[in-house]
Amino acid sequence: MISSAFLLPVILFPILSGALMPVLRIRERRAVRIYTGTVTLLTSGFAWLMILCAEDLPVMLLQFTRDFTLKLRFDSCGRFFAGIAATLWPLTVCYAFEYLEDDPRQHVFFTWFTMAYGVTLGVSMAGNLFSLYIFYELLTLTTVPLVMHTGTPEAIRAARTYFAFSLGGAAFALISILYLIFGGAGKESLTVTRIFYVIGVLGFGVKAAMFPVHAWLPKASVAPTPVTALLHAVAVVKAGVFAVTRLTYFGYGTEIAAGSWVQYLLLVLAAVTILYGAARAVREVHWKRRLAYSTVANLSYILFGIFLMSPVGLTGALLHMAFHAEIKILAFFAAGAVLHRTGREYIFEMNGLGRKMKVTFICFTVSAVALTGIPPFAGFISKWHLLLAAAEENTVWAYVGAGVILLAALLTAVYMLGMVRIAWFPGKDADLSKNETVRDAGPWMLVPMVILAAGILLTGLFPGIVIRHAQAIAETVRAMGGEF
Amino acid sequence: MKILMLFLILIPALSGALLPVFRMKRKGNLIYTGAALLVSLVLAFVLLFASEAELVLFSMTDKLRVSLHLDLLSKVFMGLAACGFPLAGFFAFRYMEHEEKEGSFKETTFYSFYLLTLAALFGMDLSGNLIAMYFFFEMLTLLSMPLVLFERTKESIAAALKYLFYSVGGAFLGLAALFVLAVYAPSLDFVPGGYLGGAGAEASEAHRTLLLVMSLLGIIGFSAKAGMYPLHGWLPTAHPEAPAPASAVLSGIIAKAGVLAIIRLLYYVIGPNFLRGTWVQITLLSLSLLTVFMGSMMAYREKNLKKRLAYSSVSQISYALFGLFLLNPAGFSGGILQVLAHAAAKICLFLTAGSFIYHGNKRMVSDLRGIGKIMPLTLIAFTLASLSLVGIPPFSGFVSKWFLAQGALESGISVLSWLGPVILLISALLTAAYLFPITVAGFFPGKDYQEEARNREGGALMLIPLMILAVGTLLLGVFSGFFSGLFEQGFAALF
Repeated sequence: MISSAFLLPVILFPILSGALMPVLRIRERRAVRIYTGTVTLLTSGFAWLMILCAEDLPVMLLQFTRDFTLKLRFDSCGRFFAGIAATLWPLTVCYAFEYLEDDPRQHVFFTWFTMAYGVTLGVSMAGNLFSLYIFYELLTLTTVPLVMHTGTPEAIRAARTYFAFSLGGAAFALISILYLIFGGAGKESLTVTRIFYVIGVLGFGVKAAMFPVHAWLPKASVAPTPVTALLHAVAVVKAGVFAVTRLTYFGYGTEIAAGSWVQYLLLVLAAVTILYGAARAVREVHWKRRLAYSTVANLSYILFGIFLMSPVGLTGALLHMAFHAEIKILAFFAAGAVLHRTGREYIFEMNGLGRKMKVTFICFTVSAVALTGIPPFAGFISKWHLLLAAAEENTVWAYVGAGVILLAALLTAVYMLGMVRIAWFPGKDADLSKNETVRDAGPWMLVPMVILAAGILLTGLFPGIVIRHAQAIAETVRAMGGEF
Repeated sequence: MKILMLFLILIPALSGALLPVFRMKRKGNLIYTGAALLVSLVLAFVLLFASEAELVLFSMTDKLRVSLHLDLLSKVFMGLAACGFPLAGFFAFRYMEHEEKEGSFKETTFYSFYLLTLAALFGMDLSGNLIAMYFFFEMLTLLSMPLVLFERTKESIAAALKYLFYSVGGAFLGLAALFVLAVYAPSLDFVPGGYLGGAGAEASEAHRTLLLVMSLLGIIGFSAKAGMYPLHGWLPTAHPEAPAPASAVLSGIIAKAGVLAIIRLLYYVIGPNFLRGTWVQITLLSLSLLTVFMGSMMAYREKNLKKRLAYSSVSQISYALFGLFLLNPAGFSGGILQVLAHAAAKICLFLTAGSFIYHGNKRMVSDLRGIGKIMPLTLIAFTLASLSLVGIPPFSGFVSKWFLAQGALESGISVLSWLGPVILLISALLTAAYLFPITVAGFFPGKDYQEEARNREGGALMLIPLMILAVGTLLLGVFSGFFSGLFEQGFAALF
């Protein structure tokens, strides 16, 4: 057992190391690589050590007033989220080394990227809603520079949108949190509490790209690919989902919403987002934006599981959180590898690239089939559990959601397998002459991709351990109710 | 013995996946592919005589298990795939030689996916529960799709995507039935007679409407591969676009995977007792009859030979589905016999259509005048297969249709019990009307026919599979007593 007092160093280590990079004047490519690589690996090592061995006790950091305290606590739910981040972060950093190899400002990028790691761990270790809120805001602040890294007008516009959406959403979430902290839930009528709950969910839902507050995510795909892959498919957006989980299961408790109009409203919102995201993804011809819309849809799979407010639903949600992370990050990596090698961003430009970039596209095919939800890949397992949860719920809205998930799965097949088809089986009249000089990506990119593809297959074949963890979390959450 | 089941799937899978790696010359590829097909055939033949066996490959959770299981039904479908694939494959060795054109795919790619498709089919045949079957069903779609777009023209790519999306969409409808059954049925393993509607199924009574709706959705979903209305649209587009040997196995064997999926869902998980006499059964029977009639009508109006044969498949496979939806022993035996009879006849017909294309690019029915003078043996094979498809004794097509009509009359469902046989009969007449004129015009082209050439057959590699299949339709009919007896006894536990 490791004392929870060590939680703070784990968070501070990457934040301070990142902040030290400009001070130490680490600018040269090799130095940046060694420094960032070491810091990231050490942080992941510490994080995993804490996940496996830390005690589950709160540790008080600061007490502003009696009600506002900064507290850390590493419970099973947080460990699950931290585990996803700590596994995927080193892979992304490895990928980013090659992706940004010719970028003169890469030291700036890795500064912020390393700091964002610490903040993400902070989100997972936050011990109460107020601390969660603070880390959530910090996450916005550390990731905005990453979105506008390229400095093009488009990137700056996207960063501005992202900033405005996230801060606005957090403000709403804060209102909801304040309502809870000042004990409104006990004093006011149930309807008022429910309304405040919805406000909070919509506020945190911004980062989870819930319709109608999703618009920042597809725009933000102008960011460098490691950012879109890790932050906009995993860390940032799942921090939003994680915050919604905290608010629903730990803050307000499911009793106030389960079976009422609130639950149905949120289920319908999630279902609408799923359909909207999938449909927009089908229409989109820009590769990374298509993947971003797909993320919009898939995040709402997770939200749908959360809003079912049953242990099975939460299990499905957690599973999809983990499996979607590895699948989508791989899809983005493939898109980024093509962008890096050829400068092509649009799907119709992928004609026949599969033959030239074999490993990249084999990995992408794995990701596409897994995202569609075809066994034995990981995506099937999480979708299966979400559907099971809907069937056990046995209400009309649950079945509507299940129907929407199946329909969205078909749309996923259309937009993902369509791309696979273009890459491997181009039409007869396609002009393949431009492909002559294309080579596959280098080892820094390929190794993380192959590891992820193997991971998708392995977690799909042997998901038992992940499923058991998710089930255990769902059980403890139900047992302890709203104690957070 | 158990491990042989795994080998049966792995051998074609691995040999298909490794084929492009070896980079052999054409001859090497052919020997390699042929050897893989023959080894699969021998293995399947050995398994035909094995006793029932079960092999759990891996279990993801208690309900999410992937297991293989060998029973009579798997043997029937496994035997079908194991015989059909080498025959069409050897035909392809000759046929595909000229198909590799500017812009099309390499011949190697074709054989590679051909073997992979076979592996997925064996997997479907041997799967022991719904999860395993669902997995192989999806794999079958993904791996057989490249067979359709071999020529890489705009049309063939559109057709392949249509096939992909219909099949994947259908599979997701099937998944709708799966997850509800996972909650309300005790298990997803295949058990003769199913879980619902039998003794001790009070749980299913409480959610009767839900389970009925989901059963209907699941069966319609899996019927996408079998080309039943309303999910039939891809079949007449995709089957003719593929090269002839691929169309042959698509129509003859791969579409039957849809039939197998429906049997497994309907008879081994849901249970015929649960659906008998419900509105679901009436709906399914009506849909299949509609498809039988519509397919024949469309085939009759179609001028392109391969498209005509594809519409004919739509109609004929729904014959089998009609028999299965009757939910009685005679209908079931008829359905299985129809699967076998149609497979033999349709593979033969598509291969003859391929021979006509191979010699002089004759694709339209009107091009085939006098073809009997040029390719008499091929046209004889075509005629024999037609006779079986129409249902003329002693060919196998007759026996299956006899059982189907008997099953319909025994079922005692009002209207459909007599309307069914009437529609089967009308459709048989239409089948005769769209197949026999080809034979007649082929052998008796009329006075104004100008002779092109005489006796230019396709060579042994093309002719021998045709002959085997044509004789096969006859033998299946002559020894139908053996098969129907086997099926009646072996499948008695289902009812």
